[in-house]
Amino acid sequence: MIEVVRAGLCDLVMDPGRPGWGALGVPAGGAADAAALAAANRLVGNDVAAAGLEITLAGPLLRFPAGCVAALTGARFAAQRSSSAAVAWDETLVLSAGETLSLERAQDGCRCWLALRGGLAVPQVMGCRSTFLPGGFGGHLGRALQAGDRLACEPGAGRVRLLRAQPPARERAAPLRVVIGPQAGLFDDAGLAAFFAGSYRVNATSDRRGLRLSGPAVTHARVELPSQGVLPGAIQVPPDGQPIILGWDGPVTGGYPVIAGVIAADLPMLAQLQPGDAVRFTTIELEAAREQAAAQWDIEELG
Amino acid sequence: MQRSVKKSNPRGKPKSGQPSPHPAWRWVGERGLRVATGDATLARYAELASRKLPEIEDVIPADGSLLLVFRQGAPISAELCAALAAPLAEVLPVSGTLHEIAVEYGGKAGPDLRALATRAGVGMSDFVSSHAAVEYTVAFLGFQPGFPYMRGLPAGLHAPRRASPRARVAAGSVAIGGAYCGIYPSAGPGGWQIIGRTAAVLFDPAHDAPALLLPGDRVRFVPA
Repeated sequence: MIEVVRAGLCDLVMDPGRPGWGALGVPAGGAADAAALAAANRLVGNDVAAAGLEITLAGPLLRFPAGCVAALTGARFAAQRSSSAAVAWDETLVLSAGETLSLERAQDGCRCWLALRGGLAVPQVMGCRSTFLPGGFGGHLGRALQAGDRLACEPGAGRVRLLRAQPPARERAAPLRVVIGPQAGLFDDAGLAAFFAGSYRVNATSDRRGLRLSGPAVTHARVELPSQGVLPGAIQVPPDGQPIILGWDGPVTGGYPVIAGVIAADLPMLAQLQPGDAVRFTTIELEAAREQAAAQWDIEELG
Repeated sequence: MQRSVKKSNPRGKPKSGQPSPHPAWRWVGERGLRVATGDATLARYAELASRKLPEIEDVIPADGSLLLVFRQGAPISAELCAALAAPLAEVLPVSGTLHEIAVEYGGKAGPDLRALATRAGVGMSDFVSSHAAVEYTVAFLGFQPGFPYMRGLPAGLHAPRRASPRARVAAGSVAIGGAYCGIYPSAGPGGWQIIGRTAAVLFDPAHDAPALLLPGDRVRFVPA
């Protein structure tokens, strides 16, 4: 059981998502970095697909009336425990009965994931526990957590082990790797040059539906395109030339030209972009992109 | 960086930049394969969806194309290549369910009906009769969960989207966007021209079949 004393900016119940409903207009959604949530789940002895919390930019103050085994992965947030014990990331945390955990501002990224032993016991909607905020379903009542909410956990199985996770190494300021997209041919040389040579900033209006970028305008032939299927990472360019990177809860079809697509292995980097952060792009060949495995998190016993 | 882009994008030749096994294939990232399917989109969708190929996570039909979403790192099987290359000798008859949807046309339920009828050069009742006289086919869903893009709108009723979208369109609004007729499943912003409203529930995530209308389904509107 957790009690939300103070809600964060947007605390969402997430699991790996609900792929397979695209034909109904429902995106797969799920944790913006599914591997990070899976690692947090392993640290508390859960199935990797258990539901946890995805916390964005400013976190909640949570109280654990009966105590809890928990773990945090992803971006570091300023954080405190009422026991005054340190809040370690990528480690099994044992919170005692009545203890509180306060997650404040994100310090080096945008999102972190909190796994709780047993996993959050919210009902499955369309086979999944993830919140789909644009549609108002899934997760906890289809919305972000609010002060006063109480969420139960499923019972944990097996004994608790104290573990540490080693996140995959990532170069912080590396450009996002993209595969050239289906409509790249609609862009003129100036547009392509602007896109690949330019540095963009993430707008404050960005959310899980899409990251809106500001920077050099990407010019293209303004043709009416038939709607086509899209997926997270697809970079659409509306008539104003300012690219939008579709996010995890973005639409499944779109009518703007798609210049390129961020590869799946780099979506965890997308998950950590804050408003104001710089974004650059670099191309990767299709076959090389397909060979990029999902980044591995190594888990070991705490010595 | 710029050089490699130019190299893979000869002017005027749309190209994925990657060796594609088929000229009609385009990649959206490395997990999304866009296949041009033209008039056979629904037949091809039904055929691919029924095969349940292990490397495919999802198949998303759209306007004249399918997006195949691959599981990360999954190889493209020979079976998939064969399935995509196989001619659909006869486009399989679309045998989707026929739905009758009651609509309250005009007034507050359809604030754009008057302007659209004027634009079409007919009276409102004739516009409604024309709209309700034909059978529509759901080509695909998108924009919102359960939002159907329906083909079959008489040419005289086609209308461009509104210059500025409404901040809030009521749930159940029956609308025209270009050559398509659509229905907004839930309230929210929308740019299509609203001609009426239905009480039908288009999308209910708690239901075993969450969307009322599926690709290939047929729809008749019944003036309430």
